Amino acid sequence: MESITSFLNTIADTDTDSGSSNADTGQFPLMPLGQACDMGHAPDGTPLIDPRIFNSPEFFRNPYPYYRIMRDHYPVFFDKLHNCYYVTRYDDITTCYFDDEGFNTIPKGSSSGVLGNTQLELSGVEHRRRRNLYGQHLVGKSLDNRMHAIESIAKEMIDDWDTLDESIVQDSNGVRTIDIARAFANEFPIRVVCDVLGFPKESRKNFYFWYNSMMSGLGGSETHHIGLEARQHLEDYVETLVEERRVRPTYLYDAAGNPSGKDIISKLCETQIDGDYLSTEEITSNIALVVGGGGETTRGAILNMWYLLLQHPNQFQAVSEDETLWDAVFHETLRNSSPIGGQPRHNSFDIELHGVKIPAGSLINMVDFSANHDDRIFNDPEGFNIFRPDLYSGKLLRSGYRKEGKCSHMAFGVGPHLCPGAWISHQEAVIGSKILWRYLKNPRINVAKMPKDIDGQSLAPIGLMSVKNLWIDYDLN
Amino acid sequence: MSTELKEAVKPPSYGAGAPDKDAFTGRNGVPLYARNGVQSDYRTYEIYQRERVHEATDKIRPIQLVSEEFARDPYPALEILRENYPFYRDWLGNSFWVTRYDDVTSIFTDEANFETRPKRWFYGIEDLGRDLGQELPVLEAQARGIDANAERIAREIVEGFASNGGTDLAIEFAARFPMELLACVLDLPRQDFPQFVERYWRMQRGHLWEPKTRQSGLQAIRDLVAYFRPLIEARRAAPGDDLVSAIAGLDTDGGPATAEDLVITLLEQDHETLHGALSNMWFLLLTHPEQMERVKAERRMLKFAYLETLRHSAPVLTAHRFSRHEVERFGRLIPIGALLHCSAAAANRDPRQYKNPDDFIVGRKDLCQREPRGQYRADGLPAGIAVGLGKPTRHPAVPEDRPRSLYAITRDTATTASNVLLEMLPALKLKPGAAPTLRCLRLGEMHTCWSLPVIF
Repeated sequence: MESITSFLNTIADTDTDSGSSNADTGQFPLMPLGQACDMGHAPDGTPLIDPRIFNSPEFFRNPYPYYRIMRDHYPVFFDKLHNCYYVTRYDDITTCYFDDEGFNTIPKGSSSGVLGNTQLELSGVEHRRRRNLYGQHLVGKSLDNRMHAIESIAKEMIDDWDTLDESIVQDSNGVRTIDIARAFANEFPIRVVCDVLGFPKESRKNFYFWYNSMMSGLGGSETHHIGLEARQHLEDYVETLVEERRVRPTYLYDAAGNPSGKDIISKLCETQIDGDYLSTEEITSNIALVVGGGGETTRGAILNMWYLLLQHPNQFQAVSEDETLWDAVFHETLRNSSPIGGQPRHNSFDIELHGVKIPAGSLINMVDFSANHDDRIFNDPEGFNIFRPDLYSGKLLRSGYRKEGKCSHMAFGVGPHLCPGAWISHQEAVIGSKILWRYLKNPRINVAKMPKDIDGQSLAPIGLMSVKNLWIDYDLN
Repeated sequence: MSTELKEAVKPPSYGAGAPDKDAFTGRNGVPLYARNGVQSDYRTYEIYQRERVHEATDKIRPIQLVSEEFARDPYPALEILRENYPFYRDWLGNSFWVTRYDDVTSIFTDEANFETRPKRWFYGIEDLGRDLGQELPVLEAQARGIDANAERIAREIVEGFASNGGTDLAIEFAARFPMELLACVLDLPRQDFPQFVERYWRMQRGHLWEPKTRQSGLQAIRDLVAYFRPLIEARRAAPGDDLVSAIAGLDTDGGPATAEDLVITLLEQDHETLHGALSNMWFLLLTHPEQMERVKAERRMLKFAYLETLRHSAPVLTAHRFSRHEVERFGRLIPIGALLHCSAAAANRDPRQYKNPDDFIVGRKDLCQREPRGQYRADGLPAGIAVGLGKPTRHPAVPEDRPRSLYAITRDTATTASNVLLEMLPALKLKPGAAPTLRCLRLGEMHTCWSLPVIF
C-alpha cells in the first residue's frame, strides 16, 4: 500500500509555502496590460477565476481582462471566498437595476455603514419619495441658479495657483508644472457641494478631510473605522447646522447678489412626509451621502477626462476647436474609465440566472465597469474615442438610453437608483474643464513626474477608480 | 433586455391552488410579487442596526481573516474577534463571525433560524444524488465495518514501519489509517485502494473556493460514480456485509439507491475528524511530554486526550450557517441569507468556559468527558466543539436500539488505533530537532499537522 502514502505525501508537500507558485499563495504576477494572468483552466479549456485575484494589486491596476473572462465564460460568477456573486454583462445589469423589487438594495454591504442611513439602501415607494425630495435640488431650476457659483468657484481656485507651494506647482522657463489633482480636481467638487448645500466657507477644509476619510472607509476596506469616525464628525457638525436652520433658515444668492431661495438644508428642514418633518438624523445622513457621492465621481471624471484626452492629441485638437464636444468627452471617459465600479444588490427571491442558482438574500455585485466594456454593446470597448457612434452622450435618463444603436454608459447606473447627482456632476466636470482649457495653454502630461505604474509604466490606462495625481506642463505665455 | 433574465427573476410559482392575491400589480404597472404567500414589503432602514463609531473594528483588518498567516495559525486573530467583536461583521467576506462558545452553540442548535448548506450545494450539484448517511442500514453497516476492521488495520500499518526506527506519523499513520479503514468498510478490492483514495481526497477538497481543486473534485466525483456503478449493481445481486451493499440494498421514497447516491453520501461525510484528531492528538502528546507521561501511565486517559485534542486543536475550524430569514441575534439584525462563520476554534478557547484555554490538559475538569451527541452541555459541562460530529442526528437519543453516534464511533476508533501505536512502539518520541506545526494547506481546509517525524 505504498502508493496511498505517496499520494498523501504529495498533498502535504505540493502545498507547502516553498513549493508553490506565486498564484498559489495569493500573490499574482503583474501582467502586461490587457492580459489576464493564468489562473488555470477547466478540462474543456475554460479559463478559471481564482477569487483571490479580487484582493490583489494586479486586479486593481488592470481589472478589465478579468471582467472579460467573466463576461465571456461566467456571466454569473459565484465567488465562494467572498460569499458574493458577480453579474458582468450590460444586458443583465440593466435588467437587474430596473427591477428594484427583485434586486433590492437593503443594506448588507453597499455603504458598509460609512455613508449612514441613506436612500441608497431603500427600495420602492420609500426610495421614490426620498429621492424626489433630495434629488429636486440637484437638477433643473435649482441647479441653473447655482451655475454661476460653479464657475466662480473654479476661477477662484485657479487664481489661487500662484500661492500654492512647490510640491504642487513649479515654474521654470515660462513653463508651469502643476498637479491638477491637488491644485484643482480633488477639492473643486467638494467646494461646489458645500456651496450648494449652503455650508459656511470656513468649514470647507473639514469637509475635504471628512470626505476623503469616508471615501477610504467604503466597502469594508482596511480603513473602515476611519470612515465611520469621519462620518460621525460630519454628522455632529451637520446636526448643529440643521438645528440652527430649523429656526433661522439661510439663503443662496444669485450672481447679482440677490437671494435666489433657501439653501438645501433650510428647505429640507421645512419638508414634511405624511405630515411629519424630516428627522435631523435623516437629513444629516443624506447630507453625508451628497457629500460622499458628490465628490468622488466628479473628481475622478475631471482627472480621467484630462488624463485620457491628453493621451489622444487628435481628439484634444478636435475638442479645442469645438467646445460642445466636452459633453462627449465626459461620457466617453465615464464609459472607458468610470471612477465608480458598480453597485451591490440582493435578490429578494431564489433565482436561477445563466444556470447559476442564487438563493434569496445573496449579495450580487453589479459590475458597472464591466458593463461599460461589454463588447456585446460597445465596439472596441478598451479604446478611447469621443466620436464613438455607439455611445449615447445626451443628458442621462433614468430609463436609460438604448435606441438606434446607441447605448448609455453605466457609470451612474440606471433605473430608480440612477445617481441623482449625475446632472450636477456632468455640469461641474464640463464647466470646470472648459475653464481649465481656457487657462492651460498647450497642456501636456509631464510623464517624468507621473507616479510610475507598478511595472514601471507611467501612462497606463486607468484601472479601478481614477488617477491619484495628474502632472501637467503648460506654457505661461 | 435579456429575456433569459426576465424569466429568471419571475417569482416562484405556487402551483395551481395558489391564491390569486399573491400576484398583483402595484403603482405604475410594476408587478409586485409574493413569497410563500406573504406579500413582500419594503423594509425601511431604521430597523437595521447599523455600525456606529463606538463599534469601530479597528483592532483587526478583514484581510487578516483570509491571509496565509490565518491559514497557519488562526488563534491570535480569532482571539481578537472573540474578546472584542464577538459578532464581527466581515465586509470583505460578506459574512459574520461568531466566536464565543455560548453564541456558537446557540447558532448550531437553532435549526429553525439557521441552515447548513451541504457540500454538494457549494459544488453546484444539488440534484446529482441523495445523502443517505442517516439511513439506519447505512449507519449500522458503517459501525460494523469500523468495529471489525479498525484494530486490524492499525496493527498492519504500525507493523509496516515498526522496524524502520522512525517514520512520519502524520502521513504514515494519521492520514493513512482513516483512508484504509474507509476502503475496508466499503470492501473495495485491495488493488483499487490507491486510486480510490486519490479520487476521494480530490472530491473532499473541491467544494471550497479554489477553482482548480473544484474542477479536479468534480472530475473525481464523475470518476467515482463511474467506478461505483458496476460495483453497486454487483453488490445488489450478491450483497456482502459492507457499506456499498447496505446502500445498494436501500429503496427509499426516492427509489432504489444509485451510484450517485453512494458518492454523495461519501461526500457529505468526512474523514477529517478522525484524520485530524489522530494527527493533532499525537502532535500535542509528543510536544507535551508531561501529558504523554500521564497517558502512558494510565491508558484510559487516551480517550480524554482525544476529547481535549478536539477542544484544544479542533481539525475543522469553522462551520457555515446561513440565516433562513431575517432574525435578531447578538444585538444585531441578521438579514435573510446571511453567512455566519461559527468558529469552533475560537469557541473552544473561550476563557468564559475553560480555565487556561490555551493549555493542553488531558482530563481537564471543566470539559465534558463523554460524547455530546449534539448537546453541548451534557453533564452540565461544555464539550469541545467538533464540527460535523456535533450536529444532531435524525435519530432520537432515547430508544435503546438507537444507532451509535458517529461521534462515539470516531472517538473509539481513534482511541483504539492510538492504543495500538502506544502498545507496539512504547519508546515513541519526537525526532530530535523536529519542530512540527499545525496548519491548513489551504484557507478553509482542516487545521492539522502535516509532518510529524518520530523515532522509536
